[in-house]
Amino acid sequence: MIVRAREKWLGRVLLIILMLVTIMPFISLFVTALHAPGTYPSGLEWPAEPRWDNFVTAFQSANMAALLGSSFLIEIAVVPAAVLFATLAGFALGHLRPAGGRIVFVAFILGLTLPFEGIITPLYFQIREMGLLNTRWAIILPLIGLFMPFAVMWMRAHFITMPADLSEAARMDGATTWQLFWRIHIPLSVPALSSLAILLFLWTWNQFLLAIVLVNDPEKRTMAGALGAFQGQYGTDIPLLCAGSLLILTPTLIIFLIFQRHFVSALMQGSLKG
Amino acid sequence: MSRFTQHPLRPLILAGVLTSLAVGVTACAPPGGSAAPQASSTSDFGAEGPTCGDEDVVLSGYFETGFPLPKDLTAEFTKQYPNVTFDIREDQFAVITQNAPRVLQDSPPDLMRLPQMSELATDGLLLDLDPYAEAFGWTKWPESQLQQLRVDENGRRGSGPLYALGLNYSMTGVFYNKSLAEKIGMTEAPKTLDEFDAALKAAKDAGITPITQFNGGATGGLAFPLQALMASYGDPAKINDWIFQQPGASIDTPENLEAAKHLKKWIDEGFFADDINSLDYAQMMSRFIGGDSLFMFDGDWESGNLDTQMPGEAGFFLMPPREEGGQIGAMSAPLTYGVAATAKHPDCAAFFLNWTATNEKARTIGVEVGGSHPMGPADAFMPPVKEGSTTAATLAAGAQLSEANGAMDFIANATGAIYAQSWTPNLQKLVAGEQTAEGLLSSVQSDYESQIGN
Amino acid sequence: MVSAPPAAAPVVSTGAAALDSAAAQRRRRRKFRASVAAYLLVVPAAGFYIFFVLRPIALSAQYSLYEWNGIGPATWVGFANYVEVFSNPKLTGAIGNAFELIIYFSIIPVGIALVAANMIRAIAASRLAAISRTVLFLPQVIPLVAAGIMWSWQLSTNGLVNQLLGLFGLGGVTRAWLGDFSTALPAVGVIGAWVQVGLCLVLILAGMTKIDPALYEAARIDGAGPIREFFSITLPGVRQEVAVCVTVTVIAALASFDIIYIATQGGPGDSTLVPGLQIFYLAFYQREVGTASAFAIVLMALVLLIVLPLQRILRGKES
Repeated sequence: MIVRAREKWLGRVLLIILMLVTIMPFISLFVTALHAPGTYPSGLEWPAEPRWDNFVTAFQSANMAALLGSSFLIEIAVVPAAVLFATLAGFALGHLRPAGGRIVFVAFILGLTLPFEGIITPLYFQIREMGLLNTRWAIILPLIGLFMPFAVMWMRAHFITMPADLSEAARMDGATTWQLFWRIHIPLSVPALSSLAILLFLWTWNQFLLAIVLVNDPEKRTMAGALGAFQGQYGTDIPLLCAGSLLILTPTLIIFLIFQRHFVSALMQGSLKG
Repeated sequence: MSRFTQHPLRPLILAGVLTSLAVGVTACAPPGGSAAPQASSTSDFGAEGPTCGDEDVVLSGYFETGFPLPKDLTAEFTKQYPNVTFDIREDQFAVITQNAPRVLQDSPPDLMRLPQMSELATDGLLLDLDPYAEAFGWTKWPESQLQQLRVDENGRRGSGPLYALGLNYSMTGVFYNKSLAEKIGMTEAPKTLDEFDAALKAAKDAGITPITQFNGGATGGLAFPLQALMASYGDPAKINDWIFQQPGASIDTPENLEAAKHLKKWIDEGFFADDINSLDYAQMMSRFIGGDSLFMFDGDWESGNLDTQMPGEAGFFLMPPREEGGQIGAMSAPLTYGVAATAKHPDCAAFFLNWTATNEKARTIGVEVGGSHPMGPADAFMPPVKEGSTTAATLAAGAQLSEANGAMDFIANATGAIYAQSWTPNLQKLVAGEQTAEGLLSSVQSDYESQIGN
Repeated sequence: MVSAPPAAAPVVSTGAAALDSAAAQRRRRRKFRASVAAYLLVVPAAGFYIFFVLRPIALSAQYSLYEWNGIGPATWVGFANYVEVFSNPKLTGAIGNAFELIIYFSIIPVGIALVAANMIRAIAASRLAAISRTVLFLPQVIPLVAAGIMWSWQLSTNGLVNQLLGLFGLGGVTRAWLGDFSTALPAVGVIGAWVQVGLCLVLILAGMTKIDPALYEAARIDGAGPIREFFSITLPGVRQEVAVCVTVTVIAALASFDIIYIATQGGPGDSTLVPGLQIFYLAFYQREVGTASAFAIVLMALVLLIVLPLQRILRGKES
C-alpha cells in the first residue's frame, strides 16, 4: 500500500511513545527492586547501591523453587486433559455432527461469557464438600471445567473446516471412528492443538481468583496466586515486593518470547473463527 | 458467534431450561445445615496440666506481617523446648480479617492472630480456653485483662467463655518526634486538648507535617485519633458498651459527635498529611521514623521498634483530656491470639500462650520487642527498662491509664466487618470532604445495627 | 420424531417396501449408534463442564434464595436478596463502577489499538513493526495481579507517574492517584487499558491483513486522505475483530477482580468497588452467602444482557 513519508515518520514516533508507555512499568519494577529493602524510593531512580541480592532474598522467602514446581504440576494436569477433552468434544460436535449436536454446542458456548466470580462461591462449598480444599486439585479440576467452553469452541471451529470426504474415504477403507480420530485428524489438528495448549497454559499460570479462594497454602497455588500471598506478606516492603513480582513474572515473559509467533497466530485464528 | 444472530432467543431459552432443571434438582436439599465443627476435647490434662509433650510437634501459626514479637517469642520457645517448632504463615491484618472464617474452618491453625472475635466465637470456630484458664491459673490475673477476650453465646463481649489470650495488653496514644517538638517549643506533653490543638497549629505554621496517620486501603487509621477524642469528650465505659455489643448501645451520641467534629476540624485545618487516604500502616511508620511528621497516633507495640530505629527520639503521651486532670481514656487491647476449634495441637498451643505470660525470658522479649506490658499476674516479673526510652514512656502511661480505669477496646472491633466496611470508607470520605461528622456516626451506627442483627 | 397423520402414512406391505423399511431401519440404527459414539466423545468435556460450571451456576441460584453464613443452617428468604442487590447503594454503586470501567477496559483500548494498528500497517515490513507487536502484547502475558502491583507502585505519591508529571511542569496535579476518591476508578481503568491494548492490537492487525490492498489503491487514486481511508476501508474491514475485542474486554470490565483486589481493595471508600470484588467480600468475609449468590446471578445476567446485543450490533449479519 502507498504511504506518504510523513505518515511513516509520524507513525514511528507515536508507536515508540506507545511502546515506552507499555514498557515503563516493567522498568520501574526492575529499578525499584534494586533498592534497599524497607525503603520507599521515589519514582524512577537508580539506587546508589543496587541491591541485586533482593532477588535472591525474594526467591528464598517466597520459596520460588517450590512455587515453580507447583505451577508446573498444575499446568501438566490441566492443559493436556483440557486439550484432550476439548478435542474429543470438538471432533464429535464439529465433524461427526450427531443429531442435536447444535444444542449441546450452544450449551457450551453459554459458558464463554461466564465471569468466574459468578460461581466461585458455590465452587468453594462444592470443593469443600469433596474434601479437596487447599490441594492442587481444587484448582485443577474446576479449571478444566471452566476452560471447556472456549476450548470446545476452538476445536470445533477447527474440525468444521475439515472436509467430510476425508473421513468418508477413510471409512470406506474400514477405519473405525477411533482410528479416524487418532490417525487422521489429530495430526492435521496440530496447529490448532498447539495454539490452544499455549493459551490454556497462559490462562492457568495467571489464574488468580480460584487460587486465592480455594487454596490457602501459597506453595500449592498458581504463580499468580502465589504473587497474591507474596504481596500479603511483603506488601509493606516495596523493593522486595517488586523483586518478587519480577521473579514471578519472568517465566511467562520468557515463554511468551519463545513462543511469540504461536501466541499471535493463536489469537489471529481465534478472531477468524470466533 | 453466528448462531446468536440466527436464533437469538434459543440460547436464552436453553439457558433458562438448563438452569431451572439444575435448580430443581438441587433445590431439594437446602445448603448448609451441618453443625459447627467439633472442637477437640480439652478437659483431661493429667497431673502437670497441658504440655507440649516430648514428641516432636510442629505448631502451625497464622500471624500478622510486620510484627516481630510473635516470631521472636516462637524462636525463644523453640530454644527452650527444642521438640516444638513452628510453621508460620504471615499476612497483613486486613487479609487475616478477610480470611479468618475460612482459615479457621478449612486449615485450622494452632495459633492465630485474631481479628474481631464475636462471630468467629459464636460460629464455633474458636477453641474455648476456659479449661486452660483453670488449669494454668489465668483466672487469678486481674479480671480486666481477660474481660475483652470473653464472648457470650450471643456474640456480646465482656463475659462468657474465654476465646483468646493476648500477647501483651497494648496501649495507644500519641507518639511525638522530640527534635521536631523542640523546634516548635513543645518541651513536654500537652496537658489539655487545647494545648494539643495549639501544638498542632504551631507545627503547621512552622512547615512541619503535624500528623501522619495511615488511612488507606482497607484500614482507616483515623479511627485512632477519633476514638482518642471520644474518650476525651465522653465516657470510655459507654464506648466499651458499644464495642461489646451491649443492648441499646450507640456510637451516635452528642459527646461522640463533638469528638468527630473536632477530628473534622483537624482535617480541615490541614493538620494531617495530604495523602493519608493512600497511606498504609508501614508507610506511616516509615515516615514518622524518617522524621517527616511531629505526631503519630499509634500503640506501644511499636515502642521496641522505635527504640531501635530512633533511640531517645520518640516520646509518648496519652491523649490529653479536655481539662487538666480530667478523664483520660485510651484504646488498650491485647494482641489477641486464639486457637482454632479443630486445631491439631491445642494443648501445646495453650501451653505456649501461658509461657508467653509467665516465663521471664518471654516477658522480657514482650517488653523489649513488643514494647508493652505482658499479660499475667499484677506482680509478675518485669524486666528493667531504660530511662528515657520510648518503652519507658509507654509503660509509665500504661500505669497511668490503669489507675484512671480508662482502658477501652478499639472501635474497629465492634463487629467483624465494621472496620473494613463501615469505619474505613466513612473515615476516608471524611478526609476527602465527602462525609460529615454527623453522617459518619449515623452511618456507622446503622451499619452496626444491621450487622449485629445477623 | 413427529408422527405423520395416519391418512398420509403409506401403508404398503409389499416385499420391496418391506425391504426398504428394513434398510431404513438399519440406517436409523447405525445413525443412532453413530450418534451415541459421537456423544461418548463429548462426555468428558461435558462432564467437567456440567459438574464444575453448570452445577455451580445452579447452586448459585439456589443459594441466592437463602440467607446463609456458610457454616450453620440456611434460612429461606425468597427474593429478599435480590431486593437487597438492587436497593443497596453500595451494590448498585459497584455495578455502576463496572460500567464506568467499560470505558477504560474496552473503548479506550480499542481506540488506541485502531490507531496503533494503522501506524504499524503503514510501516508493515520494518523491524519496528515486529518489535512493537511483541512489546505491546507484553501486558497481556503477565498475571493481572502483577499489572496491579506494578501500577500501584507507579501511581503512588512518589511514584513514576507523579515524577513524570513533575518533569513536564504539571507538578500541581500530582496526588496519590489510587487513594483519591475522584481519581481512583479512572486510575484503575488506566491499568486495565494498559493491559487490554495489546490484545485488541493483535486482533485488529490480524484483521487488517485480510483487507484487499486493491481497495487502498483505488482510494488513493480517488484522492482520499488517510483519515477517509481509515473510516471507509480499514474500519469496516476489521469489524469482526473489533467485535471480538470489544466483547472480551467488556466481559473483563464487568467481571474485573484481580487488578482491583491488589491495587485498591475497592477503596477508598467504595469508589473502586466492583461486583466481582463485592461478591468475594460478601461470600467469604461478611459471610452472607445468599446475598453474594444473588449478586453473582445478577452479574452473570448482566454480562449476558450486554454481550448478546453487542454481538448482534457489531457482527451484523455475518455468519
